[in-house]
Amino acid sequence: MSRKNRRDVPTGLTGGPPRIVRSVRPGRNGFAREHLLLPADNAFISFSIALAFLFNVLPWGQALWVPDSLALVLFFWNVRQPSKVGMGVAFLFGLVMDVHQASLLGEHALHYSLLSYGALSLQRRLPWFNLGGQLLHVLPLFVGAHAAALVMRMALGGGFLGWSVLLAPVTTALLWPLADLLLLAPQRRAVDRDQTRPL
Amino acid sequence: MDRIPPAFFKQGLSANVRLLIFAGLSLVLLVLDARSTLFVSLRQGVATVLYPLQRVLLMPRDFAQAASQTGLEALQGARDLRAELDELRRIETANARTLLLAEQLAAENAELRRLLGAREQVVIPSVVAEVLYQTRDPFARRFVLDKGIQHGLAAGQPVVDAGGVIGQITRVFPLSSELTLVTDRNLSVPVQIDRTGARAIAYGDTEPGRLELRYVAANADVREGDAVSTSGLDGLYPQGLPVGRVILIDRAGGSTFARILVEPAGGVDRSRLALVLQPDAARLPPPLAPPPDPPRRRRQGRS
Repeated sequence: MSRKNRRDVPTGLTGGPPRIVRSVRPGRNGFAREHLLLPADNAFISFSIALAFLFNVLPWGQALWVPDSLALVLFFWNVRQPSKVGMGVAFLFGLVMDVHQASLLGEHALHYSLLSYGALSLQRRLPWFNLGGQLLHVLPLFVGAHAAALVMRMALGGGFLGWSVLLAPVTTALLWPLADLLLLAPQRRAVDRDQTRPL
Repeated sequence: MDRIPPAFFKQGLSANVRLLIFAGLSLVLLVLDARSTLFVSLRQGVATVLYPLQRVLLMPRDFAQAASQTGLEALQGARDLRAELDELRRIETANARTLLLAEQLAAENAELRRLLGAREQVVIPSVVAEVLYQTRDPFARRFVLDKGIQHGLAAGQPVVDAGGVIGQITRVFPLSSELTLVTDRNLSVPVQIDRTGARAIAYGDTEPGRLELRYVAANADVREGDAVSTSGLDGLYPQGLPVGRVILIDRAGGSTFARILVEPAGGVDRSRLALVLQPDAARLPPPLAPPPDPPRRRRQGRS
């Protein structure tokens, strides 16, 4: 089984550029404890993006606090697997969200592209921090990217709607630790299951 | 020159270049979509692909609603149902009288129109559509309906419910369409105040769920409680559809125009079913009774 063989290779060396992959377990002094990860599974990446998209497409009405799960998951994979999920994917999903939400074409596309840029810029730095430190990086980025798209919309005749429209990126960013734990869990499994099995 | 080392890490374009491309593309799309109708087909394509997915995702909600409704009915005692039935019977009786009167009036009206040589009122074809979901875009008040081009819908058609006008179709896709509510800030409806016949234009107000009458002089004869209906001047909305009722008049000093708030008559945010009217603009009768007041020449376009 190719899957089995791939598991035996310790880390990061199968396909794509060799990267040092680290997981984020809180260590001492606010920095992450290094931990070698299994390579990411393509099927799992697609599955998580599809699930996040479905969550976004649910009929939420105009509730402003509903987190943008698609933005979160796309951001995560842009940080962790930039060669697989890049800015182009983020842009395309942005367009689809624009059509679904009946907003101007390009609003979400701009939002997600900016997030993706932030992810690419932070991808070497972010894994060194523990979850709290990561949250402090992610929060201004989410708020900023959302605000940029909103400002464009206002400039095109939307008018100011009050500060509550920035609630969504805050709730989205607060979900970052959860997303990090869930989406990285498959890669944190032991290379050889027998080694960690209690006797 | 030929000694350039091969790229060790192939990572494609740098993040800066990619941002330049995709953010630029987004900005171009934003501006073009706001200012032109270039991307109608792109939007229609994506919407058609999304449609089955949306329907499937809406299923759990519809099931839950149906289940809670039957549960409620079971819980509600027979007494409540009896009271409701009595109320409905009372309304039906009242309506029957109005209906008779309306028939008489219609016959009389037809006769008068024949005498005047005016064109006869046409029966407007309509389609019943179901509201699928409200869009999340905080800048607009929009619903997505489950009928589209396939069912004869077109952009600009007015939408009403049992109470009155609730909005207008603004975008159509093959199988679905977007309904912009009258309470949307960018939608305007030409209206008249039934009591005086004075014309105005109703816009969505910044206060949610309210309309604002613009371009009504501060000293105009408007009272709280006045019924407001469509004037039919635009050739889109048929004349005389109820729009709402005046609830607040603010004649602040220093302003030429009064600030008049109108509560919509239709169940703008509540109705699940809507009636899309499909008037044939060419066959609509001309608006009756031109206004006695002189045309306004002041500040026609305030934003």
